[in-house]
Amino acid sequence: MSLRIAARLARRELRGGLKGFRIFLGCVILGVAAIAAVGTLRESVRAGLATQGAELLGGDAELEITYRFANETERVWMAENATRVSEIADFRSMAVTGEGQRELTQVKAVDAAYPLVGAVGLSPDMPLATALAGAGGLPGAVMEPVLANRLGIAPGDSFRLGEQGFRLMALITREPDPSRAGFGLGPRTIVARTALDGSGLLAPGSLFTSRYRLDLPAAADLDALAARAEAALDGTGARWNDARNASPRVAEFVTRLGAFLVLVGLSGLAVGGVGISAALRAYLATKVQVIATLRTLGADQRTIFLTYFLQVGLLALLGILGGLLLGVGLPVALGPLISARLPVPAVFAPYPAPMIEAALYSVLSVLIFTLWPLARAREVRAAALYREAAGARHGWPGWPWVGVTLALLALLIGTAAAFSGNLRLTLWTAGGILGALAALSLAALLVTRAARAWRPRLTGRPALGWALGAIGGPGSTAAPVMLSLGLGLSVLAAVGQIDGNLRRAIAGDLPDRAPSFFFVDLQQDQIPWFLDRLATDPAVSRVDHAPMLRGFITRINDRPAREVAPGHWVVEGDRAVSYAGALPARTEITEGTWWGEGYDGPPQISFAAEEAAEMGLRLGDEITVNILGRDFTAPITSLREVDFSSVGMGFVMLMNPSALAGAPHTFIATVYADSAEAEEAILRDVTDRHPNVTAISVRDALLRVTDLLASLASATSWGASVTLLTGFLVLIGAAAADQRARSYEAAILKVLGATRARILWGLALRALILGAAAGLVALGAGIGGGWAVSHFVMETPFTVIWPSALAIVAGGIAVTLLAGLAYAIGPLATRPARVLRGRE
Amino acid sequence: MTSPLLSLDGACLALEGNAGLIEILHSITLDVHSGETVGLVGPSGSGKSSLLMLMGGLERATGGTVRAMGQDLGTMNEDALARLRRAHVGVVFQSFHLIPTMTALENVATPLELAGRPDARTRALEELDAVGLAARAGHYPSQLSGGEQQRVALARAAAPRPALILADEPTGNLDSTTGAAIIDLLFGLRDRHGATLVLVTHDPDLAARCDRVIALRDGRLETAAAA
Repeated sequence: MSLRIAARLARRELRGGLKGFRIFLGCVILGVAAIAAVGTLRESVRAGLATQGAELLGGDAELEITYRFANETERVWMAENATRVSEIADFRSMAVTGEGQRELTQVKAVDAAYPLVGAVGLSPDMPLATALAGAGGLPGAVMEPVLANRLGIAPGDSFRLGEQGFRLMALITREPDPSRAGFGLGPRTIVARTALDGSGLLAPGSLFTSRYRLDLPAAADLDALAARAEAALDGTGARWNDARNASPRVAEFVTRLGAFLVLVGLSGLAVGGVGISAALRAYLATKVQVIATLRTLGADQRTIFLTYFLQVGLLALLGILGGLLLGVGLPVALGPLISARLPVPAVFAPYPAPMIEAALYSVLSVLIFTLWPLARAREVRAAALYREAAGARHGWPGWPWVGVTLALLALLIGTAAAFSGNLRLTLWTAGGILGALAALSLAALLVTRAARAWRPRLTGRPALGWALGAIGGPGSTAAPVMLSLGLGLSVLAAVGQIDGNLRRAIAGDLPDRAPSFFFVDLQQDQIPWFLDRLATDPAVSRVDHAPMLRGFITRINDRPAREVAPGHWVVEGDRAVSYAGALPARTEITEGTWWGEGYDGPPQISFAAEEAAEMGLRLGDEITVNILGRDFTAPITSLREVDFSSVGMGFVMLMNPSALAGAPHTFIATVYADSAEAEEAILRDVTDRHPNVTAISVRDALLRVTDLLASLASATSWGASVTLLTGFLVLIGAAAADQRARSYEAAILKVLGATRARILWGLALRALILGAAAGLVALGAGIGGGWAVSHFVMETPFTVIWPSALAIVAGGIAVTLLAGLAYAIGPLATRPARVLRGRE
Repeated sequence: MTSPLLSLDGACLALEGNAGLIEILHSITLDVHSGETVGLVGPSGSGKSSLLMLMGGLERATGGTVRAMGQDLGTMNEDALARLRRAHVGVVFQSFHLIPTMTALENVATPLELAGRPDARTRALEELDAVGLAARAGHYPSQLSGGEQQRVALARAAAPRPALILADEPTGNLDSTTGAAIIDLLFGLRDRHGATLVLVTHDPDLAARCDRVIALRDGRLETAAAA
């Protein structure tokens, strides 16, 4: 019957209102809201991708082929299964104006049926067909405004792609099927496929992707059709996609980023947990007399536990509801605003999955952080009515409670792993959070011990003495303050270090080691002039060139490649393949033997050593590569060291020349020049002489990568900011809970003759010491985390990014000082007699 | 004749309460001379503690003047009052009011540290020894009994050798035996340092030990007779 009695007692206790539970509620609300908001955003984008799948894909389904157009078999299959088909070619090229201004662009060459779904928005407004028809004897083109701006042209002006002139008829305001995962090297230009016939582009061997958008009969069974497509097109290298998963890369990116941000959000829940625990302890401390009275009246330990457990449960429920309202309501309310800034479609609505996820995380967190204080409350004895020592104690609650807490923790980590779909990342994150919490707890213990040890040596410095007394003495709030602030700062510090090191690796060292340009689509007969032009240029320090084909690894040892190396990037898309007779310069064979110049025997493959190890490949394994719809099968006879980190030329697969004889191909070249003027001249000379050649500026590409990283770091920082905000809330809670004690202390100090400035200095010193300690531990944790990610995940060298590091320590001090001083005004302003009389 | 150490002239105190302004003290006029021991007596709520607070500058008179050590407390700001107490006044409360985050030694050393005394800790230890608590110097208030806490409070009040000791029912929270011991200590400290003592008490025997007894009723001075 103790549950009924406990419920009655809990109800009576809660009649007093929620005053003591503001921080408790705030922590739960913020933790739930952060996770629910990330989840809602993730689900909204997923829903957007799903509902607008057909438009994003450009049809009900798509067949994508690399490097060639569809062959007769494929065309027949499409005609049999689709009601309408639209063919487009997607490739990079250089747009060049009459004034010689040139820019990289992603060209989409379309047929008359394009777009099957949706419409291209143009400014000035006109039908796409009218725009592409052109004017003044030139075929028409439309392009994104950013490209027109860079080229310095406007509708009505002309430019050329390859050797073909075009009239810019309008600017693209909306492209229904961008077919990019938010990251493209060149802005879009759309032209008619027929207009490219005389351009020299799309020549055999050129790098392009052809896409066939299909309108399917209304009753088409997508699963059955996908299976039929796979069967019919097996081995051709053609890839099938349908509107249900129109942007698999975007969807996967959003899912992964969402999972990562939810894990960052978990650190917010951990900080909130510290606040919840501190708030509950403070509340229970005020209830010692009540509990002792109940014990006197015959309440057993179970009744006491249930009485407060029910209160915690009810408050957690209120907090979760509030958090869901905020975390789901805010993104939904701001949906139109967020949608306008997202590069992908989103349908904002309340989705049950993120709500369940957020609620589940919070229930487990609340249980983990409240069980110990509740267990200790059971131990309050009736004797506490007249003897303080019989009241609630802190710390170890006994093995059963530790066991239950560990089980709940395991459940929380398991839940996080299940929701994120990434056990390794979850374990790393959980390890990071628990490690940081352990480091911060240890630091708090050391700081309180040090404060206690130093206090007696501080004769003559009373303000510092009071500060150390408050930190090291009974009722010290050092632990919750350092834990709450430190964890938020740790996450921010780690993000700062990882982001800074990545940027340094990309923007700092890399441009010195990376080439200035990649030139692609060089034809065999263009190579002699190209090499000659660069050989006579004193600014050019190095030129590498190699034949390049692109192909899919379809099978490994006659098993589907994706089965052998599931999820590995090498088997996920088409890869560059090259051939060489003699061992290329700067190439190191790590295992096996190179076939040697003039080798004319059966085909052989030399594979990148590190990737082979990751995929579990060994010498002798048979690789089948589909190039231009044809399968090439060869054993791996050597493994090579390939360094992809310097952005130079690197091929996962090299074959002997005779193996690829007859396959049409172009060449790729990297050019290392040492001045911007020389780069400009090379770009102009090469693309003027050979308009079909596309130049990709490595500096521009790195800028785009840096921008993308900045966006990721910014998203992560937002996640971490919620943690910091929760930390600040806990800090405010600790300061507020401490205010009564500080007011009392300040009143006594005034009686003893302390001035307000001195008291304020003492309070400030206390905040400074705690803030600096939390900041320093966070810095250590952040640097440790940053180093681990740089070393183990990114494999880049690590250097401490000092501006970010110092900002973290300064931030820690500033935040604690702010919270501490905000609550110092009261103690300083109050007359001592009032405070002391209140304590009589 | 020497000027009084404490001088109240028509001092009033009115405090804002839930039911509006409450007149606590009405036009109190009295002098306390150096070396005197004065007992403040009267029923609960008569304003004894409030009068003591006015004398120590812990409360500000809303009318009249309060002068201590020749200075008009009404014209001094909070910090000036704090400095005056640091130099001349020791206060002992019924509820001890030790700083819970400080050990007994640290509590006693604090006023000495505030005064910039380099030997604060040594002096504090001597004071603790004088009240028989040298062995408990490292204990926090929560680890001490009520009587021990009040002895620490006495040591703290006496440590800076103040000219004036204000004691607000120092035995109110203690049993009679402990209370008697505390009073002996208090008077002993006063005798040793020659301080002026103003003592609020309900205990007629204790009041009888004072040179002069001042009785209050409803915030007004009833008598001011020599004992």
